Amino acid sequence: MSPILKLFAFPVSFIIISLGILTILGGHITPGGGFQGGAMVAGGVILCIIVYGINNSPIKFSHDFIAIIESVGALGFVLLGTIGLVFSGFYLYNVGTDFYGILSPAFVSMFHYPDPTNTGIVPYLNIFIGLKVLVGLSAVVIAFSQFERIKNDDSDTSVERNK
Amino acid sequence: MLLYLGPIIFGFLTGLLLGTRINPNPESDIKFTIGSYIIIFIAALIVAWQIGPYPFYNDIAISTGFISGTVGLIVGNLLRIMVKT
Repeated sequence: MSPILKLFAFPVSFIIISLGILTILGGHITPGGGFQGGAMVAGGVILCIIVYGINNSPIKFSHDFIAIIESVGALGFVLLGTIGLVFSGFYLYNVGTDFYGILSPAFVSMFHYPDPTNTGIVPYLNIFIGLKVLVGLSAVVIAFSQFERIKNDDSDTSVERNK
Repeated sequence: MLLYLGPIIFGFLTGLLLGTRINPNPESDIKFTIGSYIIIFIAALIVAWQIGPYPFYNDIAISTGFISGTVGLIVGNLLRIMVKT
């Protein structure tokens, strides 16, 4: 890639990633949410991978990091749903707002998202989905960018096998 | 003035998580110094001012989620550089 793109892509990826975080955190109040914001964050990561290449990209997601964040995203969502099931009898019951009035106020305040809207656990669900999507989409592009190397490795091994 | 802590805390944490994954290549011919991060922060401040706060948020006139995400990215990156050196 040209030096202009290399000079441009890394700072712009900061802005794109921050816009993605903004979209994740505003999912309960503005258009957007966990999936859209996560895709925007992944867009910043993908921009760096395309411009700098997979080996020289300044933003690197290791296999362990991807596995941990995927697991945290999925388990966090399920855990929040299970808390609702255990304490109210409904899976994914909004324990941060308690519209049916069946929980104690102290318990509700533990899960209440600190902002002027009364949204309860919805922003937390958006954050977990966002984490899961951002590493998921980045993992797809990381895998695609390494297909050429895998193909070459396979052809090398097949040549050696034929010998 | 009441500051709404939700987007500030979770924006910073998400940015910090991603910032620790940023590792500029020292052998690259294009180097990003501390000054580059200051410029990125000023640009982010302008973008946050232009975006404005979320609807129903009336604490400050900039997008707190955006700017805390940028601060988290920069702090996470600097932390990683400090740990490496």
